[in-house]
Amino acid sequence: MARIIGGIGTSHVPTIAMAFDKGKQGDPDWKPLFKGYEAIAKWLAEKKPDVLFFCFNDHATSFFFDHYPTFALGVSEEYRIADEGLGHRPIPRLKGHAPMARHIAKSLVAEEFDISVFQDIALDHGLHSPLTMMWPTKPDWPGAVVPLVVNVVQHPLPTPRRCYKIGKAIGRAIRSYPEDLKVVMVGTGGLSHQMIGERAGFNDEKWDREFLDLIDRDPERLANMTVDDFARLGGNEGAEVIMWLIMRGALDDRAKKIHDSYYLPMTTAMAVALFE
Amino acid sequence: MSKYVFDLERSARGLRLNRFLNSLIRREMRELFLQDPNVAMKDLSAEERDMVTRLDWKAMQDYGASFFCLEKLARTKGVSNPQMVAAFRGETLEEFLKTRRVPGAR
Repeated sequence: MARIIGGIGTSHVPTIAMAFDKGKQGDPDWKPLFKGYEAIAKWLAEKKPDVLFFCFNDHATSFFFDHYPTFALGVSEEYRIADEGLGHRPIPRLKGHAPMARHIAKSLVAEEFDISVFQDIALDHGLHSPLTMMWPTKPDWPGAVVPLVVNVVQHPLPTPRRCYKIGKAIGRAIRSYPEDLKVVMVGTGGLSHQMIGERAGFNDEKWDREFLDLIDRDPERLANMTVDDFARLGGNEGAEVIMWLIMRGALDDRAKKIHDSYYLPMTTAMAVALFE
Repeated sequence: MSKYVFDLERSARGLRLNRFLNSLIRREMRELFLQDPNVAMKDLSAEERDMVTRLDWKAMQDYGASFFCLEKLARTKGVSNPQMVAAFRGETLEEFLKTRRVPGAR
């Protein structure tokens, strides 16, 4: 049977991808960011998961408001890298794991999580800005991804509780997949930031630190909060951290945070945390 | 909640503008927009065309543009997110960067 061997929570800020693609590893302004991901990359290289299950959002790139799904699961063998206005990043196409994704889709719908599914849709920085910090791209990606696209862009958003619950259902789905595969859950987004309106540029490191603690010790408390609570505490766009609850929900109850890192250089707090 | 939250009312109001902004993910649309903006913006109203032409980020936001759709226009025109955020705050980029911990990280 497939096993969930750990989880990662990570920001998916587009400038993380920019810093990576421009080779800013040695730049003093970016060094703390890269340093924070070293432990994650090392852990993945040692554990060699077959599949990363990625909870992230598209940024009105491949999904547009003519039809906006709340939870959309990728069930394809391969995914293109999206062009978000600058051409696509120079990284290989992502390998999917279609048989496992189909199994998860069936299992979720059987549990009354009526998700939508997609095939040939290009994936944007929400997935691969953190991915290139963790997984090598050469000679090719070392494994496959199963992408879950979550609506954290157009309100009404799913509730934090719903995210936590679907995470638990995804955990059951993965653990009932008959092949002996190692899976790591990845939840993306945040931490505090607001890009719009009168509070654009807002951050709160104190709340971010508290979030990094609660997602480890007391995810139930986070699941009891509302999207408005998350927006007030972590900024309007920062409310996307509800996607970390999907990751956390899928992990074993005994999972513990074994690493985290926090860096707030510009508009968005960049954090990464590892659970095992 | 901020009055700027992108909800279904705002989405409906900004749909035509957002559709244009989203179309800039296609290289041929970006080239057309840079060469012949009025042809590229033919489906927009005069008010919308004016906001886009002036790159008036705040006006587009107030009108109903999604921040993530505005990012497509910003990339096409070589404008960074800190520049857009500064515009929403009514500041110059330099003023905004003074409020940041690592102004060079962009």
